[in-house]
Amino acid sequence: MALLEVRNFGKRYRKRRAVAGVSFSLERGELFGLIGPDGAGKSSLMKAVAGVLAYEEGLVTAFGVPLDSEGNAERVKGRMGFMPQGLGLNLYPDLSVEENVDFFARLREVPVEVLRERKGRLLAMTRLEPFRDRAMKKLSGGMKQKLGLVCTLIHQPELVILDEPTTGVDPLSRRDFWAILAELLEEQGCSALVSTAYLDEASRFHRLAFLHQGQLLDEGTPEALLARAPGTVVQFRASSPATAAARLKRRFAGVESYGDRVRLFLADTAPQEARRQVAQALGGLEVSELETLEPELEDAFIRLLPAAQERPSPILPGAPGPAARAARTLIEARELVRDFGSFRAVDGVSFQVREGEIFGLLGANGAGKTTVIKMLTGLLPPTAGEGRVAGADMGASSLAIRQRIGYMSQAFSLYRDMTVRENIRLYGGIYGLHGRELAARMAWVLEMAGLEGAEGERAGRLPMGMRQRLALGCALVHRPPVLFLDEPTSGVDPLGRRRFWELLTWLSRGESVTILITTHYMSEAEHCDRVALMHAGRLVADDTPDRLRQALEKEAGRLLELRVDRPMAALRVLRPHFTGVSLHGSRLHLFAKRPKEAPSLIRSLLGRAGIALQGVRQRSPGMEDVFLYRMGALEER
Amino acid sequence: MNRARILAVAGKEWREILRDRLFFTMAFGVPLLIMLVLGYGLSLDVENIPFAVVDHDRSELSRDYIHRFSDSRYFHLLGYAENEGGLSRLLAASRIRLALVIPDRFQERLLADRPVEVQALVDGMFPYRAQTLKGYLDAIGAEWNRELLVAFLGRTRGVTPERAAELAAPVRLQTRYLFNQALKSDWSMASGLMMLVLMVSPPFLTALGVVREKESGSIYNIYASTVSRGEFILGKLIPYVGVSCFNILVLWWIATAVFHAPFKGDPFFYYLASVVYVICTAGIGLLVSILVRTQVAAVLLTMVITFIPAMLYSGLLVPVESMSAEARFQARLFPPYWYLQIAWGAFLKGLGWRSLWLPVALLAGYAALLWTLGLALFHKRPTR
Repeated sequence: MALLEVRNFGKRYRKRRAVAGVSFSLERGELFGLIGPDGAGKSSLMKAVAGVLAYEEGLVTAFGVPLDSEGNAERVKGRMGFMPQGLGLNLYPDLSVEENVDFFARLREVPVEVLRERKGRLLAMTRLEPFRDRAMKKLSGGMKQKLGLVCTLIHQPELVILDEPTTGVDPLSRRDFWAILAELLEEQGCSALVSTAYLDEASRFHRLAFLHQGQLLDEGTPEALLARAPGTVVQFRASSPATAAARLKRRFAGVESYGDRVRLFLADTAPQEARRQVAQALGGLEVSELETLEPELEDAFIRLLPAAQERPSPILPGAPGPAARAARTLIEARELVRDFGSFRAVDGVSFQVREGEIFGLLGANGAGKTTVIKMLTGLLPPTAGEGRVAGADMGASSLAIRQRIGYMSQAFSLYRDMTVRENIRLYGGIYGLHGRELAARMAWVLEMAGLEGAEGERAGRLPMGMRQRLALGCALVHRPPVLFLDEPTSGVDPLGRRRFWELLTWLSRGESVTILITTHYMSEAEHCDRVALMHAGRLVADDTPDRLRQALEKEAGRLLELRVDRPMAALRVLRPHFTGVSLHGSRLHLFAKRPKEAPSLIRSLLGRAGIALQGVRQRSPGMEDVFLYRMGALEER
Repeated sequence: MNRARILAVAGKEWREILRDRLFFTMAFGVPLLIMLVLGYGLSLDVENIPFAVVDHDRSELSRDYIHRFSDSRYFHLLGYAENEGGLSRLLAASRIRLALVIPDRFQERLLADRPVEVQALVDGMFPYRAQTLKGYLDAIGAEWNRELLVAFLGRTRGVTPERAAELAAPVRLQTRYLFNQALKSDWSMASGLMMLVLMVSPPFLTALGVVREKESGSIYNIYASTVSRGEFILGKLIPYVGVSCFNILVLWWIATAVFHAPFKGDPFFYYLASVVYVICTAGIGLLVSILVRTQVAAVLLTMVITFIPAMLYSGLLVPVESMSAEARFQARLFPPYWYLQIAWGAFLKGLGWRSLWLPVALLAGYAALLWTLGLALFHKRPTR
């Protein structure tokens, strides 16, 4: 019998339907993932499973008990652990690490001796031991998340339910988190239901379900999901990627460009045929390094999304050839420092962004990204250092700066009760536009953001993706040469994010807008011309994505993906011999300096431990791998 | 009921009260502050009323008449105006609350035993003050008339001034004020403010204590655990009731030591009755916390449902007996009315169990009702 059985689950909030007709089951010992953007219904589903939310439709059965009443839900709560959404929000900021753990333990009536032993082990494993007496509010995001996990696991539940445990946490803490979770699941023999908005975490699960707008799109093992999305990914470099992308878009959906690379997914097409079709569509345009790849889970997810959800992105007018790489520097930060009391949020940050460049500032919550943006836009005076934006000194002339920049914040600073047109007019008015000029800009924004026909809609009623593009339009209404974007893609679904990046690429190439963007989606870094990683207030890397990747492969080796029958055991065997050994669902990732000889070495190592190696393949490392490596090196120092 | 779990919740809550600076202030600072601010500020004594005069007569007698006002502790003479226009301006600017206009030939007519008319202009914006003021005016006027009558009788009848005084006012009313002999509003106000503070502070603490957990999401630790509803509510509220029980002592000390209110009753009775009241008002906070989801909403709702009954329907500012029948009924529906009987009874009248058992019993019933309702409405598996 399944540990957890969800049948035809549905949940409404007043008239709004949040989830409908969701069914899946979870077996003992499984790590099951719920993947989807904000508003997909993940939290409602998880709360219902944890017995902390009443629902109207279907039935959730846990441990054989139907969770259809408060009384029944109570019967299984002792065997479950639930961590709600929000980084450390369910913890008590004024209590110390140990007091937090003790509170959860006493709530769950863990005997004192058992608690002492278990607490010691869990704190050691999460490397929180040295911080036992530190108040929870003084922990970093990654530490809070790990403390949350310890508190949730302190009573050794048979089923743990974790709602977006990795959102906004730095890659290193995320990797630790997955490793600890896997180890604990194996050790305690428990099962886990985990939700995430990061598609690149999908491979971490044994089985997973794609959720979108309250519907379950598909469910199965990563292999099964990929098998159900047959096709080929074609990727190449072009001297004029915009032209190539424009030509391909006439025939194919899902064309993306990253710097000078173009990538597209051709569903139900074999590699040979895919090459032929792409070559035909390109019509003789010269490209290099054309390769065919297997599709990723993100391709599988996007394929499942309802096609008619939004109009396809228009082929924007005037998309030009290669970006004009002028030598002019539009954003410059020199040794920026910012202290808040005794806390140094930003520590000696320097970088330069040239005209028409997309510059990505990456890092976890609390790494100092927003503080850097606030200093550059003149909203916050720096403690030390200086900066120039579009030729104006940020310290002396914040008013001049504000005329030359567009700024879009995390929260999409729109007036939700005003219509699309009213919002644009308001922002235009703030920057002194009126009359014919305002009308022209209004038309430009509506076209750029694909909002024609929605002018009279209230901003609050627009789907997330459209609202995000409206906010972008409002930030651009006064034609600023420099655009600052602070986590603009948080919580937007993958299709919306792709389209947004298409717009940004067009703005930088076509309109020569210089863009500084922050994000905690590591995969988005690929879209940037240059990326810088921030960690604990410092810049730890600053280069093009390609060069960062090359440096990684040179230093650490090639990234291999292994399929083995006992992944946890294999992990322990391989850890002393390779760097970056990590668990991804039932697969392992590791770096091999000599990729040719590595498979035989791995096979013999595993063979001695009685583990069968079922397959090896090389993978191209992502930005996440790059930063994990960099930050790992930094921590060891 | 599992004692260990109740203690776990209560212990955690207590630590948070002590460590969170905002909560600590709310628990121990704010009640003190309300008591002191309102105790000093909310004096209902009408004294030192600023007034101005236009004296068209400028005689010995007119000056004597004006002195009758300026010499009393109720009035304070701000000065003389040239004409009525000047008075209007002062009244409009709220510089004065009363203006007197003395006509010319004031002395001449009085000496000729002819009546005169003096005009008094009273700022009627605040009716309670105006009415009190009118009482003072009438009293001073009557005294002046009596003296004139005594002088007249002495002149015409040729009797001694003592005899003349007896003739002028054959019946003399002897008034003695009981319980608050000096009619000091501070005395009544200090004990009455205990009612107000203990009505407002415990619900604020309990409502915010629960709602902030809802807002942060830590309430899910409770929902998802095996702690029963009763255990959670008890564990959560014990520290707040405890803090308020401590505050009763502090407030009592302020009332007696700072505002010099006499305490004539049985301290044990009064403390016990106050504890019952605090448990009752904490129950109001519990109900608020179940109805709302954000701290802002909790503050607003608590404000409305505690301040209004405490200020308007308790009898603190306006005697309940002088209200309309409906309002009198309404007043009896709110706990502050009953607690004020206890507070004034214990402080000023020295009453105890024998006379005040009914209000205490009613408060206890009220508390039981609120807590039962809170327990019934609190769900660990809400619909949103």
